[in-house]
Amino acid sequence: MKLEFIRSGPALVIENEERLLVVSDLHFGIEADLAAHGLHFASRSTERLERLMRVIDLTDPDRLILLGDIKHSIPSLTRQEYHELPGVMETLRSRLPLLIFPGNHDIGIERFAKKTEICPRDGALINGIAFLHGHMNPAPDLFGNLIVVGHHHPLLALRDEVGCALQEPAYIRAGLMAGKGDLSVPAAKVAQTRLLFMPAFNELAGYDISRIVNDPFSPLSRCMDSKSAEIILADGTYIGPFSSLVQDEDG
Amino acid sequence: MKTVERLDPRVRSCIRKRGFTSLSDAQKQAIPLILDGNNIVLIAPTGTGKTESAMFPVFNGLIPLPGGGGFKAIYITPLRSLNRDILSRMQWWCGELGLTVGVRHGDTPMAERRKQALSPPDLLITTPETFQALFMGKRLRQHLAHVRYVIIDEIHELAGSKRGAQLAVGLERLHVYAGEFQRIGLSATVGNPGEIAGFLCGVRPCSVVQVPVAKQLDLSVQFVGDDFRHQVEVLKKYLKREGSTLVFVNTRVTAEALGHALFGHGDVEVHHGSLSKEVRIDAEERFKKGEIRTLICTSSMELGIDIGRVDHVIQFGSPREVARLVQRVGRAGHQLNTISRGTILATGFDDLLESLVIARKAGANEIEPVVLPRYAADVLANQVAAIAVEYGEIECSGIREICERTILFPDCDELLEKVCRQMEDHHLIRIDGSRIVTTARARRYLAGNLSMIHDERKVPIFDIVSRRTVGTLDESFVVGWVHTGVVFITKGQLWRVLEIADGKLTVEPAKKAIGELPSWEGEQIPVPHSVAQEAGGIRRTRSLAKYRTEPDGIAFASAFFREMDKNRSLVPTDDLITLENTDDGVVCNVCAGHKANEALGRVLSILLSARYGTTVGLELDAYRMLLRLPSSIRAADVRDLLLSLDPATMPGVLRLALKRTALFKWKLVQIAKKFGAIDPDADYEKISIQRLLDFFDNTVVQQEAYRELLSEYMDIDTAAAIVTLVRNGKIQVALGPHSLIGAGGLLSSRDQIPPPTMDSAVLATLKRRLSQDDVILACMNCRDWKSRTIVSRVEEHPRCPKCGARLVAALKPYEE
Repeated sequence: MKLEFIRSGPALVIENEERLLVVSDLHFGIEADLAAHGLHFASRSTERLERLMRVIDLTDPDRLILLGDIKHSIPSLTRQEYHELPGVMETLRSRLPLLIFPGNHDIGIERFAKKTEICPRDGALINGIAFLHGHMNPAPDLFGNLIVVGHHHPLLALRDEVGCALQEPAYIRAGLMAGKGDLSVPAAKVAQTRLLFMPAFNELAGYDISRIVNDPFSPLSRCMDSKSAEIILADGTYIGPFSSLVQDEDG
Repeated sequence: MKTVERLDPRVRSCIRKRGFTSLSDAQKQAIPLILDGNNIVLIAPTGTGKTESAMFPVFNGLIPLPGGGGFKAIYITPLRSLNRDILSRMQWWCGELGLTVGVRHGDTPMAERRKQALSPPDLLITTPETFQALFMGKRLRQHLAHVRYVIIDEIHELAGSKRGAQLAVGLERLHVYAGEFQRIGLSATVGNPGEIAGFLCGVRPCSVVQVPVAKQLDLSVQFVGDDFRHQVEVLKKYLKREGSTLVFVNTRVTAEALGHALFGHGDVEVHHGSLSKEVRIDAEERFKKGEIRTLICTSSMELGIDIGRVDHVIQFGSPREVARLVQRVGRAGHQLNTISRGTILATGFDDLLESLVIARKAGANEIEPVVLPRYAADVLANQVAAIAVEYGEIECSGIREICERTILFPDCDELLEKVCRQMEDHHLIRIDGSRIVTTARARRYLAGNLSMIHDERKVPIFDIVSRRTVGTLDESFVVGWVHTGVVFITKGQLWRVLEIADGKLTVEPAKKAIGELPSWEGEQIPVPHSVAQEAGGIRRTRSLAKYRTEPDGIAFASAFFREMDKNRSLVPTDDLITLENTDDGVVCNVCAGHKANEALGRVLSILLSARYGTTVGLELDAYRMLLRLPSSIRAADVRDLLLSLDPATMPGVLRLALKRTALFKWKLVQIAKKFGAIDPDADYEKISIQRLLDFFDNTVVQQEAYRELLSEYMDIDTAAAIVTLVRNGKIQVALGPHSLIGAGGLLSSRDQIPPPTMDSAVLATLKRRLSQDDVILACMNCRDWKSRTIVSRVEEHPRCPKCGARLVAALKPYEE
């Protein structure tokens, strides 16, 4: 298995039997929700889709995995989504086959997706790798594998020598800890399971990594072994264990 | 014919009743001009009967008009408190003359507003913001058709700001209903009265009447040192000697501190903007009645609220600007033709020199010009929305005609089009061919954005350790720049942001930050280039002959120079820049004033940051900059950079430098709000607004942020001129040891310039991580020694302690 980190996504290419391009948390239609919160911006769906198409051109994958939260509005669809999503999905579909792992924001996605494209909400194994959005308990057969999840939008804050903080999207890679969280994982599979939390493709999403680790809010982040957590930047730069960042805080 | 005789007998009888025996110079010059129907700007010190000069002939014109029907004259002042003051003065006159008068501003109750809509007063006293609101109601718009006179009081306060630009467009909107009306501006002394006239009237003819102020000023500078107790003692002596005294200070903190120290006197009150309206009015009243003799105040007392007799004005610390000193001292000697007496208490070396320069300039009538904001895109956006709501829909060319009648937006075709398209993006208006159409949002937007003043929500800062609120930050600053993990400084302490949620910022004290960080303590009054440069000239000549001072000041200055010489320190002057190494970075002593130093400092910072891949911290005042740098970058490196600067490329570099700073993002959020992109009550916790701001790249919003920062916050032209003088040798650059001058000063502006990529942050993080890694050292020579440690403890050239060989291998623990 080979991994490629695509910074201009952020996106991930996983190559074994075939080349899979994985992107997560696109949140098409977010502008309507922003407007409801007092932030009025023109839709950036076209730009976002173009960026995704460029990543597809760059990586030339066999299939595209949309790891959930393709759309944004819940609980109901907005006019913006009715208007934009058919075009978005058709552009992607006409380029390459799609697999959709619906997320918590994907209520109503069936309207825009083909039945054959939609995978179970609690995840599935594809070429020996487990995928799910990450908002609900994973199907039991996923354990023992590499589990790739979206949903968390990890963002890393780093400080340089003078003390200025900068933020970058990043991946968290971590193992499971037996007995932590509320998932019952077969003991034999705990050690073999690896979690990979993907950064969001949407340019506005981001959630501080230290809060994901220290204050977990999802079934998988709750049973993650935070001591084993490691950070990788969107371009693949290995930053190191999460614990070393914590030590840095005042050093 | 004598001036008075041209007035209506009823007005003349009132003048007699009020006890005016003779007219002041200002009145003699202004009244005939106004009676003849001229537009006029009247420039005179407070207390020379400015208001009356304007109002006698206005009353004269109002009396013969039929009663009712609409507003006949509108009197606009920048402050509600001034409105109240003017109202109480006008009520008597209007009562005597059978005219009706009303006030309308933010505090006016609904019932009163309704009454005005039904039966409008002849004379309406209002603020620029409420003036804008008059165009929103159908009935009020009809009343506007009857306006014959508009009087703008304290026009110098408005002309230099976006409030003023909005008002200028507002006057042209009024022109659509009322046709030509007579315009009267009342101003304190400014350096450029012609511009003020243009601001008031656009391209229409306008007379300027100027009553000279300089010969009525009696100014002195007293050195009091930097010890607060001594300062208070000197101040007490002055207060004992003089009658009623206004003590002007530059910050609220100083006002409170002095108030506390003088509290025992019993006849002292404090007056500043943070106090409640009731407390302020009470202090004003008691001063006016003579119950207290001393009022300690900030700029809140500069404008012409009538507070009765003032014998003496004390300015505590340098007034920073000539105009400000003249305005403040002008409050003394409120009777006609009396001398205004003022004393500056100077508190340190910079402060003393600066005060002397400003006092000299005031005497020579060298007053700073008011800089009009031209082509302010957010003002245009605000007025497009207002006009769209006013008309429902309107040809874009109609909006253009209104705006182009002001001198602030001539030929604004292209800008207007950009502004409209941007507003359409934010769903504030619709563009239908050549027409601009209002939207449901536009009216709501206008209700929240009548004012161009950024009435900021304050975000409380909650310290999670002590579990208390330690201060507040401007919302736009929080939205634009602050995110989890950043460290900032406020109240002199470092804080790290843990969370932004529930409308508050949760922080913990940060123990260490190598660099200094953006601080937000409110904007300070900048010292102009001309003042800082002349102070630099005094440092060069070491002669105070031209200046009025007393023995303490002369003794202090010469002792200071002796001390500098004894330490073999170089004295930076108007033609010598000195660079000094310190533990924190490099101090550049440049006598250029705040705005030029701000520009120069940022240009240097971004070039250093790009060259060395590190963040550069910047703090500065009018005479020096501290560049906070990693210890490897020294004064000589900064000198080389300074000498290699190309003045022509500096504006471009500065734009790049600004883009990533806290200041720029703060400004961008404020302007985005005026473009309707961000509601006043927006919930900004949901997403990373910092990234949203990237969407403004190459838009008119970003263009306006640059325009405002480059014209109002910094002075790139002067900075480039200084660099040119450095290049042709007119200004020398020298390195020197850290000096008294370099260490002095209050560094009043702080920001950081981060590098273009986060490579150095990544490297620094990786380096820290690697230095904590376990490593096994093994001697490959004797193969008899092995040691386990962490990378940071390994010496540069490890040797085997057993055999002394340098053949030591570093192994990973798993390679053991």
